[in-house]
Amino acid sequence: MTSVAHPAGRRLDAFAVASEPGNERMALARVAEAVAGHGLPAPRLERLKTAVAEATMNAIEHGNRGRPELPVDVEVIEDGDDIVVTISDLGGEHAAGPGEEPDLLAKLNGEQRARGWGLFLIRNMVDGMDVTTDGPRHTVQLTMRTGGAPASATEGDGHEEGL
Amino acid sequence: MKKACEASVRELPGAAVIELTGEVDGGAAGVLTAAYERAVADGDPGTVVLDFAHVDYINSTGIALIVSVLARARSQRRKVVASGLSEHYREIFDITRLSDFIELFGDLDAAVSQLQSQ
Repeated sequence: MTSVAHPAGRRLDAFAVASEPGNERMALARVAEAVAGHGLPAPRLERLKTAVAEATMNAIEHGNRGRPELPVDVEVIEDGDDIVVTISDLGGEHAAGPGEEPDLLAKLNGEQRARGWGLFLIRNMVDGMDVTTDGPRHTVQLTMRTGGAPASATEGDGHEEGL
Repeated sequence: MKKACEASVRELPGAAVIELTGEVDGGAAGVLTAAYERAVADGDPGTVVLDFAHVDYINSTGIALIVSVLARARSQRRKVVASGLSEHYREIFDITRLSDFIELFGDLDAAVSQLQSQ
């Protein structure tokens, strides 16, 4: 588990959503609103929105186990040329843990389950993803450079957990 | 506001078209499965077209549903093609390698033209 320093910079928004299915859409819409006009080209904004939705869904399902009384906290920060979004739940180390890299052919042949794309998508959508756990608080930090090089379509960082 | 997935099915010579609207996420499982079953129930189509022109959201669970449809179609020796994906979702089909197994068309007309020329 990596240790991630809380980013400095200017907070663009901070909010919480209840751990209910579908609230990831609320999170992505609000993040998109917060970063509007802060230099993310449209295709990269779409990537960030997908990553935020997947990370929020993961926090709702795997972190807070769908308990609506538990919040998923979202913070959006502009740090120099970076947009940093942190998404936190109260699930501690996610029980799903590291999982196998999704392999479409294996899925088509029934050798892997059809699901398991969430963290793969997140990793491939953003320029950086870090995960920290501090007691019950589990945080995924997503970093997207404004106008920077597109996120790699193939690089991973070794973190994986099932969706 | 969540827009639940809906599907309509129509037959073409040798193919069936599933036109999807709304959000392709976990809530779409029943709709997509039922639509596929309707699509292949009559006429034994060799190709199933998934049209996403009116879909505005696909998440990882939706990708898994598409994988399941593709797996089922392959086991029945049917081809799956897709139309109407936005640039962003075309990229996701590339990253997941779905586009290695599902031919992508810009729109439904292009897909239908291609199928009817075969």
